[in-house]
Amino acid sequence: MSWTTSRRARLLAGVVAAVAVIVALLMTGLGRDPSVFASPLVGRMAPNFTLPQLDGPPVTLARLRGQIVVINFWASWCTECQDEQAALDQVWQQFQDSGVVVIGVNFQDTAGAARAYVRTDAVTYPVVEDAGSKTALAYGLRGVPETFVVNRSGRIVKHVIGPVDAAGLAAEINSTLGTGAR
Amino acid sequence: MNAAGTLRRARAGLPGLLVPIALAAGLATLVIVAAGGHPPASRAQQVQQIAAGLHCPICKDLSVADSPAPLAQQMRQEIAQKVRAGESADQIRAGFVAAYGDSVLMSPPRQGVAAVEYYVPVLVLAVGLITAFLLLRRWLRAPRPDPRQAGASQAGPRQAGSAQAGPPPLSAAQRRAVAKAVARLREE
Repeated sequence: MSWTTSRRARLLAGVVAAVAVIVALLMTGLGRDPSVFASPLVGRMAPNFTLPQLDGPPVTLARLRGQIVVINFWASWCTECQDEQAALDQVWQQFQDSGVVVIGVNFQDTAGAARAYVRTDAVTYPVVEDAGSKTALAYGLRGVPETFVVNRSGRIVKHVIGPVDAAGLAAEINSTLGTGAR
Repeated sequence: MNAAGTLRRARAGLPGLLVPIALAAGLATLVIVAAGGHPPASRAQQVQQIAAGLHCPICKDLSVADSPAPLAQQMRQEIAQKVRAGESADQIRAGFVAAYGDSVLMSPPRQGVAAVEYYVPVLVLAVGLITAFLLLRRWLRAPRPDPRQAGASQAGPRQAGSAQAGPPPLSAAQRRAVAKAVARLREE
């Protein structure tokens, strides 16, 4: 009798544990935004590129080794890109003398619209064109805006999907500056 | 005369030549098919095949081959460029996986968390089926209660005991004796 009771208790405990595990898995899965993907590039070397500036000489990422590079993918038709514009400019102004470079990579846009945007919104950092989205595909871009922070040794240390805020980006840069050539 | 004779001989020998030629052609086709499985795909077919195996990163359940999104279109152009440059399908896929992760594949490899997600439901189903089978078997093997016994047990434990033993059937002589005894009792 007691044997049967303990067997039943064990069976019940097993069922409860299995249900708890399934519920926990479901809650974890449902709580995650399926549209947000962690970039596999974080921690890896940033794919190199040489892209023409809208108004200026081409920019080669490899030549910026030793500096912290903020790569921001944007488009003139993207409203969230307009929202983060001030933050990027602020960070550029704040850190350009500390070995930090901000590069705007224009994505799926026309040169005319991009130039007009840069003029109207007074973008002060270098902006390059990515015709054919070759660089965007190398960075696993899904949309704009997306921002990558590359440390002094050329490794991606941060990936932000959506607009950046000045405080968060400055904190990331300070942290990267503080860790030397991490 | 000689030329005409040669021509005639050649014509006469032509059917004989056709057979080995046809056999050689058939054999060559068999060898090609056996070696390659399929005739080599054109570049456009290769691009289509690779694109069909890649998930459009900004779409829901659409491959790069099927998606009309500009990003998918640019991915197709990138694939075409790499095919022209001589990269293999595996190399091209590896390039996209490096940038986007395994989620860019229409059939991601079943490793790590993906393996758990894939195999756990199968495991749970198997355990459920085995449990159901064991319970069903136990239920079918369990002794069924006798309806008479069930009725007796409802009547009470003492009667249940007598019902379990069961009275022996009376013979015709015994029944007559009992009937006589009952009649006598009534007369008295």
